[in-house]
Amino acid sequence: MNTSTADKGITGAMPTWLRAILVGGLIYAFLVGVSALEAGVKFMGQDTQERLFENVSNPLAGLCIGILGTVLVQSSSASTSVIVGLVAAGAIDIDTAVPMIMGANIGTTVTNTLVALGSARQSNEFRRAFAAATVHDFFNVIAVAILLPLELATGVISSIAGWLSDLLVGSSGSDWKSPIKQWVKTPVGWIKDFWSWIGLSGNTLGVVMIITGLAIVLISLALITKNMRQLIADRVERSMNSVLAKGNGSIAMLLGMVITMLVQSSSITTSILIPMSAAGVITLRNAYPVTLGANVGTTITALLAALATGSTPALTVALTHTVFNVTGILILYVPPFVRDVPVYCAEWLARIAASRPVWAVGYVMGAFIVLPLIGVIVAR
Amino acid sequence: MLAFLRGGPTGLEHLVAKAIGMLGDSRHSFDLATLALLTKTDAAAVDNDIRETDQRISVAEQELRSEVVVHITVQGPTDIGSVLSLVLLSNKIERIGAQTRNVLDLAEAGVSLTNQPDTEALLSERSVISALFGEVAELMSEPDEDALDDLSRRCADLQTEQQNKIDGYLHSTEPGTVVVPRAIYQRYLKRVVANLVGIVIALSEPMPPTDTLTEDSASSGSDADG
Repeated sequence: MNTSTADKGITGAMPTWLRAILVGGLIYAFLVGVSALEAGVKFMGQDTQERLFENVSNPLAGLCIGILGTVLVQSSSASTSVIVGLVAAGAIDIDTAVPMIMGANIGTTVTNTLVALGSARQSNEFRRAFAAATVHDFFNVIAVAILLPLELATGVISSIAGWLSDLLVGSSGSDWKSPIKQWVKTPVGWIKDFWSWIGLSGNTLGVVMIITGLAIVLISLALITKNMRQLIADRVERSMNSVLAKGNGSIAMLLGMVITMLVQSSSITTSILIPMSAAGVITLRNAYPVTLGANVGTTITALLAALATGSTPALTVALTHTVFNVTGILILYVPPFVRDVPVYCAEWLARIAASRPVWAVGYVMGAFIVLPLIGVIVAR
Repeated sequence: MLAFLRGGPTGLEHLVAKAIGMLGDSRHSFDLATLALLTKTDAAAVDNDIRETDQRISVAEQELRSEVVVHITVQGPTDIGSVLSLVLLSNKIERIGAQTRNVLDLAEAGVSLTNQPDTEALLSERSVISALFGEVAELMSEPDEDALDDLSRRCADLQTEQQNKIDGYLHSTEPGTVVVPRAIYQRYLKRVVANLVGIVIALSEPMPPTDTLTEDSASSGSDADG
């Protein structure tokens, strides 16, 4: 039996050290992308920025845009990095960004729900898979339902994040000297010089810089995820087996967090759980804490993006994402009497979906596209 | 979390090691059960050991199935052939465990082939089969096409020999107390060898290849003939 991993095609045959260097390069490219995006927004001028982003000042619209944007790019890492870039450029403020970050948290759950739809032909498998996918949805929706009004009323989440960024980089409101910002300055200058040399200027240059930055962010994140997944696949497999054998909730949560931090994608971590849940290898209650860990782990990307901007408000927004997810766990998972609420909701929805799979499709369309669209239209 | 941080075998290596462990356990059970039948070893004394080993094999098989799902989910379908082999051969190993229990049941029912004229030959046959377990385990960790073919051929010869013995017992004029236990025992041994062959086949070719091109050519050829 061939147990070597060499026979995995051209990409699989790459030596580990070379792949590690490649990932390092891709992380650098990602940071350049965020910085290019920030620079592009700055080129557009204050008036244009205000016109573009005036519609998201309503928290409900911000929340819905966060959901839609993340559903569109299928990655909360990408959407939150863009939000951080916009905050760093001064296009949106912290209060506007926080609901968008919360929306991104909800939007990212669509990927594993779509993966679960793949089991729709097998009723029992589908019920288990759909429950494992939607427990993530319910947790995030309930967390937003509790924490967004609280944030709007008291500003508690952003205050904690602000306090943390003060602790990390000094007084808020001013920029800090991020070494990473210095490292990415030169390639961002090259991008700008290239488009200027083509003959672009003003708003056009800003838009093209934003598109270039977005493309670099999305491509580099996708490649980081793909390569890191291959780099750590054996470790993920070993630790998943060990969690299944004798793990507890906090270990599973830690595992979900570490895997997500390394692959820079909560969707990868949560989507791995779906076939395992469908096959009955992992129970919903065991999959749930891994999902919560992934929620926290995915916030590392926005933090990384904030490092490229050197902006304290951007770092505060990135930390808001972390604080929101940690607070959600403290409120909804740590107390035993509420821990099972998302689980019961997911089981209930999965029973309905398994009896009529068309309801599952309706749920995905309604929760992730129609309702957010209505939200944007009504609240703008 | 330590499992994540520390190094270790690749996912497939781990699965193969687990299957080899199961095969080692089933060899242990086979050795004990046949000893209970062919020597003065107390059947009741080995009963516990065999049942515990059997339990261990069942648990390992459950774990293997779950780990196979994790492996495919995490690593993708690259190793699907090897994974299918593992699923098939773990099933065979579990069956060997069941046949070993049957041999033990014979001994516990009071059948003893100790100090009989053919005891030496039966013990020698037992050693040959026991050694086959080791050879299969080696092939699982280090596949070798030639060795696989050689082992398959020897197993086929052994099965023919066992079938001849069974046929001989069926038509023997000796008393039933002599031939019936031997015929049953040989039948179990033949099944054990058949499952070992099944493992070898699963290792070399988990799925029979489907050559649709040849079939198409053949059918178009016959159409032309018609």
